[in-house]
Amino acid sequence: MDVTARTDSGAVIVVAKKEYREIGLDTEGNERLGAWQIKEIIDLTLPPQKRIDERFIVEFPENTNTAEIEVILKYYLSPSYESTVHKLTKKISFGK
Amino acid sequence: MHIPLLARLFLMLLTMLIPAAAVAGVNTLDELEKVYGDKACMTCHEKVHGEWQKSLHSKSVVHVLGGLRNFITFGLTRDWKKPVDKANLMRCMHCHAPLLEHASESLMADIGALIVAAFDGKEGAKKELSRLNVNCIVCHNTAAIVETNLRGQPKPGVYYGPTGKTTPAHGTEKSAAITTSAFCSRCHWLYTPPDGDTLYCNTLYGSYQDAYRSSGGAATCQDCHMKSKGRGHTFPGAYEPEMVREGISMDLHATGAILQPGKGIKTAVIIVGLMNNAGHRIPDG
Repeated sequence: MDVTARTDSGAVIVVAKKEYREIGLDTEGNERLGAWQIKEIIDLTLPPQKRIDERFIVEFPENTNTAEIEVILKYYLSPSYESTVHKLTKKISFGK
Repeated sequence: MHIPLLARLFLMLLTMLIPAAAVAGVNTLDELEKVYGDKACMTCHEKVHGEWQKSLHSKSVVHVLGGLRNFITFGLTRDWKKPVDKANLMRCMHCHAPLLEHASESLMADIGALIVAAFDGKEGAKKELSRLNVNCIVCHNTAAIVETNLRGQPKPGVYYGPTGKTTPAHGTEKSAAITTSAFCSRCHWLYTPPDGDTLYCNTLYGSYQDAYRSSGGAATCQDCHMKSKGRGHTFPGAYEPEMVREGISMDLHATGAILQPGKGIKTAVIIVGLMNNAGHRIPDG
């Protein structure tokens, strides 16, 4: 998941990047990719029937009046095969 | 359903071939396809067969060539220094091409070589391997009985399904197991080969049982991946963007505020909500 903000003055701010996946480990704790090597997992996936709220706070340059927040959720079937699951934007403003 | 006499005779002959081949061990892909292939099923089950052809079950070997080749080249040969033989290849093929349990050692050696050749882009190798898959025979016969210790092995030439509706073309039996998630767990879970090792290709059924069912979930794999929206035998999963979108919903809330009195820092508070609507963890397989 990539969260970015674009200000009315043209600045692009990378707010956050979060990954949800399993990390496969061998018995010595080394990350492994082959199924035959993996003996334990660190579970960083999205659990079933659960909602996760990710909260971010980001500061903007003084000359910002408005900004557009964009969140893109991508699914990677492999490092080279991605598909966009959701893309949402929201405009915010500062002061009156 | 009317089935022409010749087709009926062909199917009966096919049924008779199964036990003989199972004992001897088939030596070629042609022979394996002749006895355990999906072509005969097409005669009467054209629509379902067409759905299955679109599914990854029909491409369960060629779709994962890289992983299979890495297991042979780096796992077996380089790290374990073990032969590329039937016992070792079946660690993968138990799920990716279950009908190879009927293959001879010489055919398994050929399969190992074909996998490496196909990965290296050798012409024809991938086409040959595309004949290996998880076909009708696997789910409706060889793997149809979940509790073989209680119910015995599947009967040759008998096809198991949720209704057990009879047909003159072949024997049929009703299977309660084929509609359960436990049926899919044969492959969509940890695999333990006969030597007691554990293979973590995927762990989907684990989170289904331990996180979804334990919190009151009642849908089965078949409910979402077959019955819903007429998905049938296409078994859509993570390779279908629509399926992933259905599995995960996302919402965005953002508020602008000017914080720290005196300094006036322009700040956004952003909350992104992700809901996994599926009956298993995401991602998994």
